[in-house]
Amino acid sequence: MTAAIETEALTRCFGRHRAVDAVSMTVPDRAVYGFLGRNGAGKTTTLKMLLGLIRPTSGSARIAGIDVARDRLGAARRVGALLEAHGFYANLTGRQNLDLTRTLLGLPATEVDRVLEVVEMSPNARRRVSDYSLGMRQRLGLARAMLGAPPVLILDEPTNGLDPDGIADMRRFLRDLPARTGATVLLSSHLLGEIEQIATHVGIIHDGRLVLEGELARIKADLAPEIALRVDDVARATAVLKPFDLALSSADNGMTARLRPGDDPDAAVPAMTRALVEAGVAVVAIGARARSLEGIYREASAPAPVTPSQPEFV
Amino acid sequence: MLAVLSVEIRKLNRSLAVLLAVAAPSLIAVFTFFNLMRGKAPQPWEMWMVSSIGIWAFFMLPMSVTALTALVAHMEHGPKSWDHLRSLPLPRWRLYAAKAMVVLAVVAMMSAATLGLTWGAITLATTLKPNLTPTGPLDIALYATTMGKVFLAAILMVAIQLWTALRFASFVPALVLGIGGTFFSVVATSAKAGVFFPWQMPVNMLISSQAWRANTALGLGCGLGLVVMALAVAHLARREVL
Repeated sequence: MTAAIETEALTRCFGRHRAVDAVSMTVPDRAVYGFLGRNGAGKTTTLKMLLGLIRPTSGSARIAGIDVARDRLGAARRVGALLEAHGFYANLTGRQNLDLTRTLLGLPATEVDRVLEVVEMSPNARRRVSDYSLGMRQRLGLARAMLGAPPVLILDEPTNGLDPDGIADMRRFLRDLPARTGATVLLSSHLLGEIEQIATHVGIIHDGRLVLEGELARIKADLAPEIALRVDDVARATAVLKPFDLALSSADNGMTARLRPGDDPDAAVPAMTRALVEAGVAVVAIGARARSLEGIYREASAPAPVTPSQPEFV
Repeated sequence: MLAVLSVEIRKLNRSLAVLLAVAAPSLIAVFTFFNLMRGKAPQPWEMWMVSSIGIWAFFMLPMSVTALTALVAHMEHGPKSWDHLRSLPLPRWRLYAAKAMVVLAVVAMMSAATLGLTWGAITLATTLKPNLTPTGPLDIALYATTMGKVFLAAILMVAIQLWTALRFASFVPALVLGIGGTFFSVVATSAKAGVFFPWQMPVNMLISSQAWRANTALGLGCGLGLVVMALAVAHLARREVL
């Protein structure tokens, strides 16, 4: 099956700076792909190359199997985009703004009503965009991206500027989008918690390089499980847990025991608790900790250490 | 292309560009009205109409083109809509060509409005002071032809101003260029070198004593103007907007 979006060693240099460095990413059909990275990591440059807005220095990008550089128009027909800069004409109403794009795309007039309905903006469509809140502009931008029901949606920071209710609405909307419309969604965001709740797949870009990519559930499953514990005596607990095959680290808020990938935390927690209690160590709290996307992101985008990290395997 | 053109026209709805298109010719008409009202004896139609074309050609036209192209370009630069427009599945040159056509059409309408409003101002003034009714024939065909030549000679200036306004997101380069061009157009109106100066080419259409100047300015302004406009559209469509 053809991936909805695929890049091969996609590279873009600005002078001597490699903004995007040999990025090979694959967004499966009907996935919600969270594209993560700090400001300046290369997210927007990558998205712009996918949309044909800037040319890659080398490598290729394909939308629904169509090479963007060779057939920009063909690829563009399969993409709807919500970009950080909305580009709405403030002197026109929301409906008029959508109608301009609809005209350029050669779509029937009913298409504007359809997308307004989808983003629940019909009641405000006759107001000028200058009177819109940022959240309303964001939804209008989403409506515009969906004109013509393109199979691929590229959304740059879609939750930017939304209030908590707006973020929740957007989250629900984006999560259900592939099932409702069959579209594949590629979205970039800073909000790791949001991406974690929406995305089926993630890609993490750091300093222009794609450092991690895959199905989110699988990435989490493949990671070593962690057990968080709070005890009265960290030194004694460390000594007691020495025979267990785990990496221990401690911080102000307690200790973290990292198991080997594939180990079952449900089996390890009772054994550890028993050993600690028998040794007279007071266990205040202990339990398996779900690996968060934030943790995955921090690990993947952490700068390479000068000396190897020193987890204490006991 | 018609779809892109219709979109460009609809964007002007309630915009400052429309206000400008009405204001600039109106100012010439208002000036003509009060100028006629302060007169003591009637003047020929030709004097009023040609002086109106002259004011348009050497000052108001370059200023209007500067402002109009800056406003039309800023409609996209302001809300940063280039990325949206350029990501759409349509050849990019059409976006820029449509802008060029709309600007030329608005300038043509402003030129016609200058003639029409001047006539209206004179008619209104002579209704109030019938003794100042212009003398001689009202040779509409002659004034329309002259204004038409002024418009054609202005195409090179429009192309340069439009390219500058679209190329730079800041409106400062386009304004500096336009104000500078207009300045030299005003202070050196009769300079022979003006025939090669884009901002002065339109006013050369009014110099009937030296046919070569009018013909050269018209040929360069229109012929070279269309070539430069085509090159500007091609360049803008090809360049990356970062």
